[in-house]
Amino acid sequence: MLKADNSLGIIFFPAFDWAISPTHPEREERLLYTQDQLREEGLFDIEGIREYKPEVACSEDIERVHFCFPEAEAVATRSHCISAGGAIKAAKLVMEGERERAFALVRPPGHHAMKTVQGSRGFCAINIEAIMCEYIRENYGPKRIAIVDTDCHHGDGTQDVYWHDPDTLFISLHQDGRTLYPGTGFPKESGGPKALGRTVNIPLPPGTSDDGFMMVMEKAVMPILEDFKPDLIINSAGQDNHFTDPITNMNFSAQGYAALNSMLKPDIAVLEGGYAIQGALPYVNLGISLAMAGVDYSHVREPGFNPKTLKESEEVMNYIATICEGVKEIYFNPPAESSEGVVSGNWSVRHRNIFYDTEGFTESQTESLLLCNNCRGLLKVETQREGGPMGFGLEIPAAACDSCRNQGYSLLEEAQVKSRYRYIQLINRKDKDYLRYGF
Amino acid sequence: MLLLGIDVGGTHTDAVAIGPDGLEAQVKVATRHDNLLSSIRDSLGEIVRHTDPARIKQLNLSTTLSTNSIVEGNYEDVGVIVSAGPGLDPHSFMTCKDFHVIPGSLDHRGSETKRLDNLSLEEAIASCRNAGIKVYAAVTKFSPRNPAHEKSIELAIGDNSDFTTLGHQLTGRLNFPRRISTAFYNCAVWRVFNKFADAIADTLDEMGLGHIKVNILKADGGTMPLDLSRKVPVQSIFSGPAASVMGIIALCNITHDSIIYDIGGTTTDIAIFAGGSPLIEQEGIHIGSHPTLVRALKVHSIGIGGDSAISMLNEKVRVGPNRLGPSIAFGGETPTLTDALIWKESCDCGNIERSKTGFTAFAAKNGLEPDELADQAIGYAVDKIHDSTRSLVDEINQQPVYTIHELLENRKIIPRKIYIMGGPAQAMKMDVFRKFRLSTEVPENYDVANAIGAALTRTTTELELFADTERGLMFIPSLGHRENIPRNYKLEDAEKDAMNHLLAHLGEMHVASDGSNAQITSSSSFNMVNGASTVGRNIRVKCQIKPGVDRTYS
Repeated sequence: MLKADNSLGIIFFPAFDWAISPTHPEREERLLYTQDQLREEGLFDIEGIREYKPEVACSEDIERVHFCFPEAEAVATRSHCISAGGAIKAAKLVMEGERERAFALVRPPGHHAMKTVQGSRGFCAINIEAIMCEYIRENYGPKRIAIVDTDCHHGDGTQDVYWHDPDTLFISLHQDGRTLYPGTGFPKESGGPKALGRTVNIPLPPGTSDDGFMMVMEKAVMPILEDFKPDLIINSAGQDNHFTDPITNMNFSAQGYAALNSMLKPDIAVLEGGYAIQGALPYVNLGISLAMAGVDYSHVREPGFNPKTLKESEEVMNYIATICEGVKEIYFNPPAESSEGVVSGNWSVRHRNIFYDTEGFTESQTESLLLCNNCRGLLKVETQREGGPMGFGLEIPAAACDSCRNQGYSLLEEAQVKSRYRYIQLINRKDKDYLRYGF
Repeated sequence: MLLLGIDVGGTHTDAVAIGPDGLEAQVKVATRHDNLLSSIRDSLGEIVRHTDPARIKQLNLSTTLSTNSIVEGNYEDVGVIVSAGPGLDPHSFMTCKDFHVIPGSLDHRGSETKRLDNLSLEEAIASCRNAGIKVYAAVTKFSPRNPAHEKSIELAIGDNSDFTTLGHQLTGRLNFPRRISTAFYNCAVWRVFNKFADAIADTLDEMGLGHIKVNILKADGGTMPLDLSRKVPVQSIFSGPAASVMGIIALCNITHDSIIYDIGGTTTDIAIFAGGSPLIEQEGIHIGSHPTLVRALKVHSIGIGGDSAISMLNEKVRVGPNRLGPSIAFGGETPTLTDALIWKESCDCGNIERSKTGFTAFAAKNGLEPDELADQAIGYAVDKIHDSTRSLVDEINQQPVYTIHELLENRKIIPRKIYIMGGPAQAMKMDVFRKFRLSTEVPENYDVANAIGAALTRTTTELELFADTERGLMFIPSLGHRENIPRNYKLEDAEKDAMNHLLAHLGEMHVASDGSNAQITSSSSFNMVNGASTVGRNIRVKCQIKPGVDRTYS
């Protein structure tokens, strides 16, 4: 009998009865062959690997993280709540010591969901990693968390959620935004004024394969993690860098994904994208599971795998080496000012238009951070969906100073009195006070 | 018309004859492990002396033969030939020394991704032949989706083999390592089981019972005809606990979520019922050093029984898990749970005088009042049973689900009633009730419930159907049935086909079934999309004859 070096909990939730539409890449069939592969391999018979049922995230879990307009129930379906609940279950297993590591193999994904949510973007409605991380902090105390996003698409949602948080290191490896949705994720996006260098974007050229990814891990990701010294490492495990993925242009393999996870040693991995549901997902998911459990994965090979034809040229490798140096510089010597927003009085203010591609509308948003010398600052958001009513969100961070906390409540009162907003949401992490007004 | 049931247990072999008006004969003889057949012959002889042989229609037999021969390693060498393709290293699942891995692979839809290497195959077979191997197991990864490679291996083995097991014929469920060990065990016990089956048939002929139909009990709480069992002897492992569970079903009218205890000499078997039905182990049973795909009732055994020794550890009273000879009441030296029950006058068996004297002496030696010792011992045993039951129910309630619907509908099992059987059942009843505060029932005839269960258990079978409309193929692995289907083949067609094949298969086994016990246990249909258009449907249906009893006995 095989035995795992690290005990691993797998929360497998294929949501066999949920799809965006019958032929959408994010559909019922997506994890079907993964299930076949895991079952046929007898993965759950390996000593130390066990399968668990997800929990269901509640509105409070969602509204602890997101400003949801009009409300959490309106933007997240049952399947989203279970997907986020799967991630929460993974966190519980690890935090309570039942398992050393956990992998939430769930769908739908979440890393394009931003701090403010008015609908679905890039197949995502709510950010399941962020919901998990904040569940951890709420229930197990403050933690330094590193999220390494290995999805082929830039994790713009997770970046946005943690833009102002110096205790969360967000590293995203992705296909260059000039060639792929969502078109963001450049090194200069390095965090808000109070969290400069805590966002690390590593855009990679199309065609990057195992060697390129491993170079990034060795030269950039691992040294940065070593410096940051996180309490927890989370892998946002998107699998669409695979050479057979139909909507991306990378050349990563199942062996590569497994090797990356062996090196990263994430405490928790959460499935993100990945749409080569027959040729890649079964093998990549198997490889990652084995790597996380510390079981030999050297025999995992997808059909059509030929390392020679996938290999990147020397120029590409040199280019990647340059990027690694660049992003390391940004982390270790962050710029003095954020690349986004202007300072107006005590506030750092960003105006943005966010396009919800899944539903086809635009949100216009003004986000302001109170520049405080004693804490990470009070955050407020004014948001309006095209032709929709105004929403107002206010967040008092967990370690807020008294002044920011008090100012938060007076802003809340002012917002109510002025009745300019149809919906108002308060996230007070300091006192665990979560309020919502509006109709 | 009489139905016979024989349960060959660890200590006793129980036999019963059941007629239209109830129990007509019952026998208990000591089991002789070196000669199981003689135990069966003796009990059968007793039954026949008390009944009219011409009225006997059927004999259902539960035997420990396959289990014992596997557990004791008393089986013949098997040539195991596997082909794995990508994934875990197949050498991790090596079951025996003549284990050969042949290059070649199929993917999850059954497409060949690499041809089977004939040269390696020939070498493997030659090596087995030189080692004197006469039985072979051929197992390839994803064979339930496409048995072609297993069939090629069978063809290549040809005359070298007395018996060959092909993985896909055992079950359509996926799990390659378990399929390997199941096929291996099936071959390993094939010869010894068939000799036993021959002997049973001869014995029945000698006793003038050649006309009766013989069925062998399976671990899933069903039976299979003797002829079929000759090909799948592995299905007969661990049928003992199944017989007890079926006994309870026959004796009691179970409708709630319930807990079933069979308290034996050395162990207590715990089974859980959801509504009126026993729960099945999700994957299959563990035996020897390997898990298998043999379908089984979910039964959890703990080391607490009537003969469990009472001991002291750090001034605390413990019971089990060891058995150090029989109870003092039956000539032993160390006090047991039964002796404690005798002291409390819950139980009246063996030499009461001797038991009480020995019990008092043991208590005095440990500085306890006998009453105190008995209370603590019984309390310890009941606590153990209680805790194990709690964790078993928790584990069942934690089982994974795969759809939103299941997750929302998934009702938790909350036991409302307890049924107890086995030797100490009556004596333990009140103690168990006091611990759980749940209605606790001990049926009449609890001491031969296993044999009654065996006698009344119906023949069961299950099958999986797999259809791929893009390829135009429908396949039922366990029957080796494969047919072409039209592109518009739907889930409803698949369900109908699965049920028809299930009933036809019963017919082939000469079992009449009206179909009322046949049920679909799961069915799903997935659109397969290529690019942005649907290219076909991937359909999976599982159905079964529900495990249960042909009629209840009361």
